[in-house]
Amino acid sequence: MRYVARRMGLFVLTLWAALTVNFLIPRLMPGDEATAVLSRMKGVNPAALHALQVEFGVNTDQNIVVTYLQYLGNCLTGQFGLTAARVPVMTDILDKLPWTLGLVGVTTVIAFAIGTMVGVVSAWRRGGRLDSILPPLLFIVSTLPVFFVALVLLYVFAVTLGWLPLASNYGLGSTPSLSLAFTWDVIVHAILPAATLIIVTAGSWIYTMRNNMVTTLAEDYVRMARAKGLPGWRIMIDYAARNAILPNLTGFAMQLGYVLGGSILVEYTFSYPGLGYLFYTGTTDHDLPLQSALFLVYTLAILICVLIADFASALLDPRTRDA
Amino acid sequence: MRGSRLFSLVIAASVIAAACGSSTTSPSASGTGPGATATVPGASTTSPGASAASPTASGPINSGKIGGKLVIDNESGSTWTCQFNPYNPSVSGTAVGFIYEPLEFVNALQTNTDGSNKVTPWLASASTWSPDFKTLTFTIRDGVNWSDGQPFSAADVVYTFNALKADSALDLNALWSADGGPLTSVALQGSNQVVFTFSGPAQTYFFYVADQIPIIPQHIWSKLDQTKLDTEADTSPVGTGPYLMSNCSQNNIKYLRNPNYWQSTASHPVPQIAEVDYPSFLSNTPANLLLAEGQAQWGAQYIPNIDSFYVAKDPAHRHYWFPAVLNVALFPNLNNPLLANVAVRKAISLAINRADVSQRGESGYEPPANQTGIVLPTYNAWYDKTIDTTAFDVAKADQTLESAGFTKGSDGIYADSTGHKLSFTIKTISGYTDWDSSLTVITQELQAAGIAVTVQDEDTTVYTPDLQKGNFQLAYGEETGGPLPYYELRQMLLSSNIGSTNYSQYKSAAVDTLFNNYASASAADQVGIIHQIEQVMVNEVPVIPVVEGVDWYQYDTTDFGGWPTPDDPYAQPPVWATPDNGVVLTHLFPTN
Repeated sequence: MRYVARRMGLFVLTLWAALTVNFLIPRLMPGDEATAVLSRMKGVNPAALHALQVEFGVNTDQNIVVTYLQYLGNCLTGQFGLTAARVPVMTDILDKLPWTLGLVGVTTVIAFAIGTMVGVVSAWRRGGRLDSILPPLLFIVSTLPVFFVALVLLYVFAVTLGWLPLASNYGLGSTPSLSLAFTWDVIVHAILPAATLIIVTAGSWIYTMRNNMVTTLAEDYVRMARAKGLPGWRIMIDYAARNAILPNLTGFAMQLGYVLGGSILVEYTFSYPGLGYLFYTGTTDHDLPLQSALFLVYTLAILICVLIADFASALLDPRTRDA
Repeated sequence: MRGSRLFSLVIAASVIAAACGSSTTSPSASGTGPGATATVPGASTTSPGASAASPTASGPINSGKIGGKLVIDNESGSTWTCQFNPYNPSVSGTAVGFIYEPLEFVNALQTNTDGSNKVTPWLASASTWSPDFKTLTFTIRDGVNWSDGQPFSAADVVYTFNALKADSALDLNALWSADGGPLTSVALQGSNQVVFTFSGPAQTYFFYVADQIPIIPQHIWSKLDQTKLDTEADTSPVGTGPYLMSNCSQNNIKYLRNPNYWQSTASHPVPQIAEVDYPSFLSNTPANLLLAEGQAQWGAQYIPNIDSFYVAKDPAHRHYWFPAVLNVALFPNLNNPLLANVAVRKAISLAINRADVSQRGESGYEPPANQTGIVLPTYNAWYDKTIDTTAFDVAKADQTLESAGFTKGSDGIYADSTGHKLSFTIKTISGYTDWDSSLTVITQELQAAGIAVTVQDEDTTVYTPDLQKGNFQLAYGEETGGPLPYYELRQMLLSSNIGSTNYSQYKSAAVDTLFNNYASASAADQVGIIHQIEQVMVNEVPVIPVVEGVDWYQYDTTDFGGWPTPDDPYAQPPVWATPDNGVVLTHLFPTN
């Protein structure tokens, strides 16, 4: 119980710190939303500009402490006002959320599954054919920049071969529905961005998993299992992998937290309208309400996932409860 | 990267903001001279689209049929929000022209012989100025209905303008006196006339009043909170326009033709295209590809290598036209002690090979500009060839600097008698890659002429305030402009625009008087005034125009005819130019 209370306390403290940083950073950036609107519209008259400023809540004479308290209150109640395009912030975020959850969430799980499995098998057959080809290859690929992999895939499969679409989340003629045709259209559009994410993230899972496996396989209880004459796959899965996966699980939980952040570069390169793209446009437009809300969503997602990971590893591994 | 420039252009154009504060104005379009009470030139009681029934000189013949699906291709930079408030600059480009319409259409690309813009009556059937240009009376068209069946009337017009007064966030052109404009009242006269009263001669405001204000239905909008109209979502728009919004998703807006459109007659239906699709594009590449694949017919895209990428795939049907509308110019900061010397500014103007910048910096898509500041060939009627001395002449630049007491140092750079070198930074907007390549050319050319410059890229949110506050030496930029040269030149040179659009901080009482006389002058006198301003541009070089900014526009005649062309520039052709897009939509017709 003390452990849970301590973790929760830390969670609240971290959240407050993150929210405060989130409040300060956009306000330290050069320019504000009103200036951004001004430069886009060019020569808006001062009266209209003042009206805009009041509406956006920037450059008002309000005390910064009052603004800060209001901001904290808004964060608690989820009221973030309107974006620069005059759409309720939460509507905008909820519109984009499913696409990012679908694309990045699914690919994170796939990359984790592939990486972990390859790591387990290649450590089990150390020096084997699989071990000497896949892990080094994927590791090298995973060090490539995301946008580079994305552009290569785009060039080969979308531009040169024309097998897959170049951009967007579904085709021009499609209307969103639960039909098979639309689902297929969405999947086809997701293949290239998903492949990019899997290629650049699977490598790191392989390496941590393989290294953990190698360490675990040297343990006495594994030798004991062999001596008992257990079948190889049981030793691999039940004795070695089960223990070796623990650090990876924590990493995975944290990675899930980052899912909501979308993968800005991937979404940008593939013009995929998810949260990452929204974050990009929100930043370039100096859209403070949108930025604040997105930061809050990311922070919460990561903190909650870390909390869950802490609890999960405490559950799986009693030793960590004292930590 | 180029996309961001396009996007800002879209926004800028959809707002065509008054040159800041009280400065901007509008065209002389409807002025018919002192004492005029006659109707606007071009005004008639016939429906504006009627001329579309006749075959164009070279294009296909309009058989009067209805049908087809037109796909628009324009990088929007974000997905659609499915809001259609014509006063929300983020979405007005999908509402105005399609659904909402103005009183009269002012064509920025076409001038009458006296230099004024061609004007087509739209929701108003006629307009007249009082002799002192302080009162403008519109006669509102009969027989127009809102798309929900309610009749449109003069009361809707009065309501619309007074709504701008009630919520100043709507008054983006600063028309009302409370917002810095000259408008003091808008009132109903009789049953079908609306009288606009201004505090001073306001001919130059005609464009903003008649063309830039879409009329909204009183019976719907008056029920909303009048101080919050700017945030109204307007998800089911009701307008008078040629199209009805049928379906909207984040990725596409589908418009269907308004079967009861007021321009339509039994013999000549308007509009003739049954469905218009407007997909959203987050970036340039997929938008360009759709055009290249022939899946979209009306493009407003910047396409590198357009001849091979787009036209070559079907040269018989695919065309592009980039009409010039603005200057892209070097702004010298006149408070800089070296740039305050007119010899230095003249030398810079002489040392730049504008044709070369156009070719190497802008792939030849943006034509070279001239020192008078008049955009050609669009505003030929305003251009005085005898004044223009634009030339690329390095020897003359040398001569100009030497006779002003500058001497070339061992590094090849000129310095004045006290040793101050002609070495400057040029501020530009980061991400405008074509400007960057233009500036590379300019840098080389100025270096060759003994003037050292370095380019400094800034984000727009830093760049714009820097230019407005005079925190720069040289800046590469452009104004918002308007439908005639007057607007752009006034933005550049009027002294009360210092701090907003007069980046050079040019100050001249004589020039201010010229601009202030313009609003009450006859068409002929207005041309005379602009000629005098051209003389100032050439003699004092307060701004150095380099190339002419253009509208990107591609069109495919396979399935549709009636497009704006250089021979028939009946409207500004890119889809984001409102309300011109509505004029184009009423001219297009299916060819098979």
